[in-house]
Amino acid sequence: MANAATESAIGESAIDKIDQTIGESWIQKVTGWVFSAGGITICLTILVAIVASIHKGPYILVNTVITGGMWALMAIGLALLFSVMNIAGFAHGEYFMAGSLTAYYVMQPIGKYNLDNPGTFMAYVGPLIAILAGTLMCAFLGIITERLVFKQLRKRNREGWLLNCFLITIGLSVIMQNGHQLIFGADFKGILGYWDFPSVPILGVYISMDRICAFFIAILTMIGFYMFMMFSTAGKTIRAVSQDEDGARMVGISVDTVHIMTFALSCGLAGLAGASLLFMFPAYPTVGVMPLYNSWFIIILVGFGNVAGSIPGGFMIALFQVVTRSYLGEGWEAVVPVLLISFILIFKPSGIFATKVRTVWDE
Amino acid sequence: MANEYDVQKKGIAKFLDYLCLTPLGAIGFLILMIIPFFPPFNQDYLLRWFILAAIMGAGAMAFDFSAGYIAVVNFGFAAFVGLGAYTSAIVANHWSIPLPLAMLCGAFTSALLGLFTGAISLRMRGMFAICLTWFIGIALMGLAIKMVWLTRGMLGLQTPYFFPPGVSNLYYWYPVLGVSLVTWFILKRIARSHLGLAFKAIGQNMDAAKTSGINPTRYRIINFTVSSALAGWIGAFYAHFIGILTPDFMHTAKTVEFLVIAYIGGRGTLWGGFAVAFPFIWFTEMLRSNFDYLPGINLLIYGLILILIMIYYAGGMAQFFQYLVDKYKDNPTVRWLTT
Repeated sequence: MANAATESAIGESAIDKIDQTIGESWIQKVTGWVFSAGGITICLTILVAIVASIHKGPYILVNTVITGGMWALMAIGLALLFSVMNIAGFAHGEYFMAGSLTAYYVMQPIGKYNLDNPGTFMAYVGPLIAILAGTLMCAFLGIITERLVFKQLRKRNREGWLLNCFLITIGLSVIMQNGHQLIFGADFKGILGYWDFPSVPILGVYISMDRICAFFIAILTMIGFYMFMMFSTAGKTIRAVSQDEDGARMVGISVDTVHIMTFALSCGLAGLAGASLLFMFPAYPTVGVMPLYNSWFIIILVGFGNVAGSIPGGFMIALFQVVTRSYLGEGWEAVVPVLLISFILIFKPSGIFATKVRTVWDE
Repeated sequence: MANEYDVQKKGIAKFLDYLCLTPLGAIGFLILMIIPFFPPFNQDYLLRWFILAAIMGAGAMAFDFSAGYIAVVNFGFAAFVGLGAYTSAIVANHWSIPLPLAMLCGAFTSALLGLFTGAISLRMRGMFAICLTWFIGIALMGLAIKMVWLTRGMLGLQTPYFFPPGVSNLYYWYPVLGVSLVTWFILKRIARSHLGLAFKAIGQNMDAAKTSGINPTRYRIINFTVSSALAGWIGAFYAHFIGILTPDFMHTAKTVEFLVIAYIGGRGTLWGGFAVAFPFIWFTEMLRSNFDYLPGINLLIYGLILILIMIYYAGGMAQFFQYLVDKYKDNPTVRWLTT
């Protein structure tokens, strides 16, 4: 940790940076960005998206945009957990699962009501209630986890916090998966759709209302999350703790409360993703594995603990998977990412956006 | 085991010391050797579970070698085991070479993968290795499912048995004990050497180890490769014992099983995982057969045990054992047994 601090202090002192920026025109800035790793990747992503959409049809673009937003939400939660509490959340997929399960059980009576009396107010608001219930349930589960597990560990842990947390999240994931199987059974618990409206034609493809809503939910959540982190006091305290825990404690921030908030936010976002995607991913015990895999992929791609980078990362990974699936066939999307990950780890281990987020690396 | 080196040993004690076994360990091993002849355990069915438990235990030792010593968790461990198993089976099927040689091929392939993985990810902190091995594990399982022409996918690959089918499981019991003993011997000899000292230093505090002139990357790669090689070797034995290989064996859930066994046994002790594997597998089977109306209850309990151990008793069973030894260390018999 001390190492990283000195390196960054020597490598790019503030004055150097200011000198550089004053000397550059905006054209130089843009070209400089385009030829950075992040720029190359983003441009390449857009290029691939356009080419693949022309070649295979616009459904590639549509699928990318819809699932990408949700993976970004998952990855934001994961990155938040990592940068604030230094926890590698391998149980994050299980919050996705819990969110979709809650939404399913809330949506059951609402769907029945909508079927009996069509065209009421409930047809518009009902699904939102289900999604909100999933989110709140996961936030609540996150708080319980924090209190029962991670707080206890923090009291007793002496060394190897990161590894211990990793193992604990594996235990949590096993418990939640098998608890689901034990209580609710292993069958698929899905719905046909949230919003029972005709599909909307966009770019010549018919897109169901659910997908459009999922996209807008993701975008609105991201904006809301940004506002919360930037302008609310709670968000500022979270950022303070992620920058320096001891310093935050010194100025009177209750680190304990921040940890609770972080967990609630992070798990709530995963639950929101799960609940919003219930129409694509029915709730079953291991539904969370794929989203977890995707969000870790994003985390490695954009750098550990990089919250903002998770958003473009989510879309990139979604595109990558959609393209792999449509060109190579089902099943290969688990194999190909390894090559990309190896490539990233060899050349850009700190992620394509060269994360400058402080993370407590204590092994 | 604090005074391993300062006692001059003679005769049988010297030989045991060469094998890195304490008298208590040797007695435990002898008990395992004769146990199939005593009533509750002399059924073929039970012996089969014993063999599987020994394979799991040996795997847990290899897992613990990197998790406990250099604090790098191989989260695709089951896939490394499975790669060895598949390689050995395919080599033996295609060229009908002697099975022990095929097993070495399996070990070699896994070692190669371990070397490759280590070279990429072990320059960085442990989290990168966890992620990369996890991705590799999933990818290998995907490959095993997809490459039907080579692995026959989900149908399962027939593998040649060591002994003609239908023989008593007793034939496999001694080879599996041999495999476990060799695994233990190799790992413990390395752990006792200078390499082991470097591993421990890296595992406890990497920055301090760096300051004292250890090149962590090199030692971590060596450690990881050895661990992977043994994983492949054990997997190859499993392949020729079980007779049919399916990609399910490479699933992350299987890795979690190795991980839980190793951590309940006690990280960084090697023997803990092997000792725990037997009661653990027995417990699994008891739960699975007696509570078949509650599917997944055994895994639920593992998860719970893992969390409780990580929070409240990080040393696992080995810590408890050490506590007992320390409590009775004035007793000469106890001291003789444990040194």
